[in-house]
Amino acid sequence: MLTVENLSKVYASTEGPSGGVRGADFALAPGTFFTLLGPSGCGKTTTLRCVAGLEQPDEGLIRVGAETFFDAGRHINVPLNRRQIGMVFQSYAIWPHMTVFENVAFPLRVAKDRRYGREEIATMVNGALETVSLGGFGSRPATRLSGGQQQRVALARAIVARPKLLLLDEPLSNLDATLREEMRNELRALQQQIGVTTVYVTHDQTEALEMSDLIAVMDAGRIVQLGPPREIYFHPRNTFVARFVGSSNWLSGTMTEVGADGHGRMQLGDGRSIGCRVADGRTGLPRAATIAVRPEAVALARPGPAPASGINRLDGTVLSTGFLGTSSRYRIDLGGPVFEAHGSADDNYGVGENVSVEFPAAAAMALED
Amino acid sequence: MPEVARLPLPMPQARRTWSRALRLPPGGIAGYVLAAIIALLVLPPLFVLVRTSLTEVTAGMGQGAFTLQNYVLLVTSRNLGTMVFNSVAFAACATIVSLLFGGLLAWLVERTDVPLKGLAYLTTIISLGTPYILYVSAWLFLFGRAGPFNDLYRMYVDPSVTLINVNSLGGMIAIEGFLWSPLVFLMLSSAFRAANAEMEEAARVAGASILETVWKVSLRLAMPAILALALFVFIRNLEAFEVPALVGMPGRVDVLTTEIYRSVKSMPPQLGYASAFSVVMLALVAVLLFFYGRLSKRAERFASITGKGYRPRPFRLGRARIPAACIIVFNFVVVLGLPLAAVVWMALMPFVRPMRWAALPFASLKNFTSVVSSPYYFGLGVNTLLVAAGTATAAMLLTVGGGWIAARRRAGGTLIDQLVTMPLVFPGLVLGVALLEIALQLPIPIYGTLWLIGLAFLIRYMPYGMRYTYTGVLQIHPELEQAAGVAGATTFETLRRIVGPLLWPAIASGWLFIFLIAAKEMSLPLLLAGPNSQTVAVAMFDLWSNGQGGEVSALGLLWAALMTIFASALYVILRRQSAATFGD
Repeated sequence: MLTVENLSKVYASTEGPSGGVRGADFALAPGTFFTLLGPSGCGKTTTLRCVAGLEQPDEGLIRVGAETFFDAGRHINVPLNRRQIGMVFQSYAIWPHMTVFENVAFPLRVAKDRRYGREEIATMVNGALETVSLGGFGSRPATRLSGGQQQRVALARAIVARPKLLLLDEPLSNLDATLREEMRNELRALQQQIGVTTVYVTHDQTEALEMSDLIAVMDAGRIVQLGPPREIYFHPRNTFVARFVGSSNWLSGTMTEVGADGHGRMQLGDGRSIGCRVADGRTGLPRAATIAVRPEAVALARPGPAPASGINRLDGTVLSTGFLGTSSRYRIDLGGPVFEAHGSADDNYGVGENVSVEFPAAAAMALED
Repeated sequence: MPEVARLPLPMPQARRTWSRALRLPPGGIAGYVLAAIIALLVLPPLFVLVRTSLTEVTAGMGQGAFTLQNYVLLVTSRNLGTMVFNSVAFAACATIVSLLFGGLLAWLVERTDVPLKGLAYLTTIISLGTPYILYVSAWLFLFGRAGPFNDLYRMYVDPSVTLINVNSLGGMIAIEGFLWSPLVFLMLSSAFRAANAEMEEAARVAGASILETVWKVSLRLAMPAILALALFVFIRNLEAFEVPALVGMPGRVDVLTTEIYRSVKSMPPQLGYASAFSVVMLALVAVLLFFYGRLSKRAERFASITGKGYRPRPFRLGRARIPAACIIVFNFVVVLGLPLAAVVWMALMPFVRPMRWAALPFASLKNFTSVVSSPYYFGLGVNTLLVAAGTATAAMLLTVGGGWIAARRRAGGTLIDQLVTMPLVFPGLVLGVALLEIALQLPIPIYGTLWLIGLAFLIRYMPYGMRYTYTGVLQIHPELEQAAGVAGATTFETLRRIVGPLLWPAIASGWLFIFLIAAKEMSLPLLLAGPNSQTVAVAMFDLWSNGQGGEVSALGLLWAALMTIFASALYVILRRQSAATFGD
């Protein structure tokens, strides 16, 4: 449906080229909910704006279905108002001098490919307003809406002309926390309902994981990993992705052996050795390595007998504890590295107490920097 | 923002859409066309001035040989030193007067709980619509030989001494200072209104007294804005013509502008000498404007610290409320009450008389009836309204496009911005000289018509229109326009359906502002008006010079009343606009 090849757009600044996007590639099947995820300045919004036609790329190709929107090689650049896409802006961009109805009707009134009759416009606008649960709000002035309502109007405006592609630029970032969670579900349900291919830009990993079919994690203008949410979370390609998506405990040391099945062993600075999963695909031993362990994979135990094979065990002392209601959070000093782990609310470890952390070797991911 | 259409020209196999995008890149061609039109308005006066100043006078208005004679004459002129000194002293002292007075007033009204705030605004609004010439003649009467001050002094102290000589540098400074204080008040009050009250509250919480807070926080924050305004008023005072001509010339206190006027109006006109003088003034103003630009950039940086959607809480003055209220009343009396009384008195008297009870029986409405019934004055009014409305419309048409292209940094935007602001270096009189020379050399018979005055007004007031539209566009979130584009609207549709309606308050207030200053402008039409293209301000100047103070006053009063209606409209729009911006 949406194909982007080798998309590059670099901004010139006084200190040389900066920001922008370099060589982005992805192809989406129809109906995909696709998320561009990354910290601010990683190029995710630039990518979206290139697809929308708000920015002109330096290089690359953008195609939707059979129609080429942009192709630097063949000098094709369809103006943004002829791309027939829907877009929700970060500020919602609700026109304050129009009513809700007129805001939503605008794409139909300026449509170039065909003329819409008065009746038809009314039907389509009211339909779109119903879809976003704003039926009956049509005659309201746009200035008299809450943040959540503005967001819905923006969404109705984006889908009213049945676009081939829906672009969402951090649409939830201006809402408060509860509303954001509510809208997250609603947005996803709506996208499923109308089945439109959607590109969603966010810096919020929870949003990305919960809503998307496919996530592209971006860093410094490049897509560093492209995959479904589970793959991104459980098999991060490098330390950046592991750091940005979810939280991790970190160990560094020397890789001493790598088996054919992807299992390996790493030796910590103090001589302790742990089993791990090698995902970075590098060879050559011994070499420096970094391991990430998700906190939820870490179990706490009182010092005791050696664990079963395939389970790593490291001894340490409790640095601090925090009661979260459903669980407790601990920070544990492992004689150098500090681990974060969750324990059930029943277990009660005190600060300074000796404690062991256990985690499966399969959950210890050796990653590229 | 990147420039539009950076890729090379379309190849043969290129698609239709791409070639269309190239033919009309948003704001691209249009930007340069607009820049060319503005250049055509702005550059010729500059060129003509410099050329005339370097050319010998020939018998038949032809092209003379190159000469530096005019500049030599200027430098060796006995009076140059005195005139420069007078100009600078006059401008500087008048600036200080209006800044102290208007600034104090603005602070009291905007940041304290002083009573009678309405009176301060009323004073300002009415004075905005009043022609300067009417004010000046009122004060000339008040401080003049027959005025109440000298009259009272003669009556009760010493009948042989005239206490105040108004036709002096001091008189000029006082009158010019009061003339500008309403505008200073208006400009500084918006700066004080935008000041972040939390910064002052933080100082108060930290233990500072009101005076310490004002001195160490409020004033320091407003300083860039105040300095920029001071420089602006100084420049305008340097260019001022009304006060030097009406107050200074009779007392033989000469400044640069009056010297230019005198050499143009002498027989035969010394256009070369006047042009040389004009070029010197132009250079002086250009240098000052350069510093003004840098100052006001700093002021904007300071202003951008403010938050949104709060209401500044006023300081409580306590027992100081009464003296503070006295300042407001004093402002009303000096800026509005006394001049108005003087003008009404003059309008009612058949000829200029001291303000005494004994003269009251002579009062009549004869001056008013002669103004109202005269087709001559009616024609003047129509002329002035026509040329002011026409100028305002043309200027706003040009600057709506220009302001949008510049604010959105479309192709040609920087060029347009530079060209539009260029006329700011022209003192009114200097621009008048330049356009006079152009009109004399053009094959089109434009000399002596309203068109010429309109053209001069357009060039002079374009920068003001641009300020309104440029800042207006900046206040529109770019995503509002981008959303229209994504929704399928063309650039033109976006401008018409989104930008236009949202920019409307800025356009309306810009139009009214230009209309008001054009309607009272005197120096330009004084040089350019022909027998059939007189304006109200010029006629009032002529009447006053002929000693017909009564008719000046009657005409001025009626005119001021009309203009006050327009000024109130301007005020209402500005208030509503700031309410929208600050979330009131």
